[in-house]
Amino acid sequence: MTPVRPPAPRVPGAVNWLGLWTLYVKEVRRFAKVGTQTVLAPLVTTLIFLGIFAFAFGSRAGAVGGVPYLQFLVPGLVMMAMVQNAFANTASSVMISKIQGSIVDLLMPPLGPGELALGIAAGGVTRGLVVGLAIMPILAIVVPTAIHDFGFILFHAVAASLMLSLLGLIGGIWADKFDHMAAITNFIITPLAFLSGTFYSVERLPKALVVVAHLDPFFYMIDGFRYGFIGHADGSLGAGLVVLTVANAGLWWFAYRLFAIGYKLKA
Amino acid sequence: MTVSPGPLSGPTPRPFGLVNWIGVGALFWRGLSRILKDYRDTLLGMAASSLLFLAVFHFAFGADGAQMAGLPMLRFLAPGLIAAAICQQAFDAGSVMLVFDKMEGIFADVLMAPLTTAERGGAMVLAATAGALLSGATVLAAFLPFVPLAPAAPVALLFFATAGALMHGLLGTLVGLWARRWDHYQAAATFVVMPLAYLSGAFYSIESLPPIGQWLVRFNPVFYVIDGVRYGFTGHAEGSGAVGAVFLLAVNAALWFTLHRLLGRGWRTKS
Repeated sequence: MTPVRPPAPRVPGAVNWLGLWTLYVKEVRRFAKVGTQTVLAPLVTTLIFLGIFAFAFGSRAGAVGGVPYLQFLVPGLVMMAMVQNAFANTASSVMISKIQGSIVDLLMPPLGPGELALGIAAGGVTRGLVVGLAIMPILAIVVPTAIHDFGFILFHAVAASLMLSLLGLIGGIWADKFDHMAAITNFIITPLAFLSGTFYSVERLPKALVVVAHLDPFFYMIDGFRYGFIGHADGSLGAGLVVLTVANAGLWWFAYRLFAIGYKLKA
Repeated sequence: MTVSPGPLSGPTPRPFGLVNWIGVGALFWRGLSRILKDYRDTLLGMAASSLLFLAVFHFAFGADGAQMAGLPMLRFLAPGLIAAAICQQAFDAGSVMLVFDKMEGIFADVLMAPLTTAERGGAMVLAATAGALLSGATVLAAFLPFVPLAPAAPVALLFFATAGALMHGLLGTLVGLWARRWDHYQAAATFVVMPLAYLSGAFYSIESLPPIGQWLVRFNPVFYVIDGVRYGFTGHAEGSGAVGAVFLLAVNAALWFTLHRLLGRGWRTKS
């Protein structure tokens, strides 16, 4: 008689790659399914902003940062669309899972806090980059845009999308109601995205605000991204790389801790 | 011996006058209180995002005393932003409640109530209109510390603000009837209402549009709302106020007629 062996547990390696990939694919499918809202809508919104500024000032605005105003504006608009969508993706995903109770489907599988945070944040980064890739070529048709340094474009696109994805993740874990999320978007994310040099050179700001701008990670992500196109930066590029890396590392650690202790998730 | 029952006085139907004022008031208040309860988004959020636009334009172009159509820039922009806020808020209020009720399956409660079609539609639209005007007043209050905004023509201001709110309240309610999912409402808000509110002269003089745009804008009712509200605040208008008033009355009448027909037939609500 052969001995009956009990079913052995599956042993994931150091990283549960299959689980991580599955979570990532789920996050991507979530926004791809409603592409009209998640990709087409930001495109239309960005074109409207471009239209507003072109009609209002296109003819009389002088050069900004050494290039015509609309060339200065386009990278800022693209960055704004990318970060708003990266934020919206992770925030709404976590928020809706919590409210509908399906968050247990993420907490039950053999995924560690790092895998959870990475899978969800990578979904947000993907949405940010997809939106940027969809918008940039169309804006480049309307406003002639050259590429000065592709490395800076890529680094800042990824770093900014990651930063806002992590912020959305943390916000989604913290928020108890949709109202809370709307408040974060209305009173923190949109003002930061609007006032950090998207539409103007921060050198135009009053002195006191220039100092504030140089402490604002949003400023560095827009400034560095724009440098990749027009070859001019308002702030220090080196400082920008450091600020964005540190901000992302800090937010990553924070998101990891929240998942590890189960803050508002397992309580 | 049989006892003949006396005349039975069963429950009699409650008589209404010409208008069921209690019902209309209740439905109106339901819509308005929804907006008030969500004040962080509907009032404060609107004020915050409008202030942001003002700040962006000020920092980007305002420092050197820029003018728009002969007015100081912020005085030109502020009325446009207030009008755009009123339009967007009225549309949202009109459609969101209806879509929500339909999605949750509780719109039957509104249809069951002893209200005529006109009472039902009127109460819903007026709630959206009132909420939007409150939202506009909040934006105005937020602007006052930064921009002098004493109305030059209060009657025109009130007329055009109300006509714009009513138009978008009607439009929102119609979209709410039409929408089967949240996506449909989202699409209408993003692809129709927002572009119309932002591209109809809220941010620039229509003289800076290309000639075809200048011609097309005369057929855009939202342009007359923004222009009329700006006239009310500053006394400066780019289009004809009389044409605008007649046009807006006609559009509102047509929208009301359509809504009354569709709501009365139960289009996408009773089927």
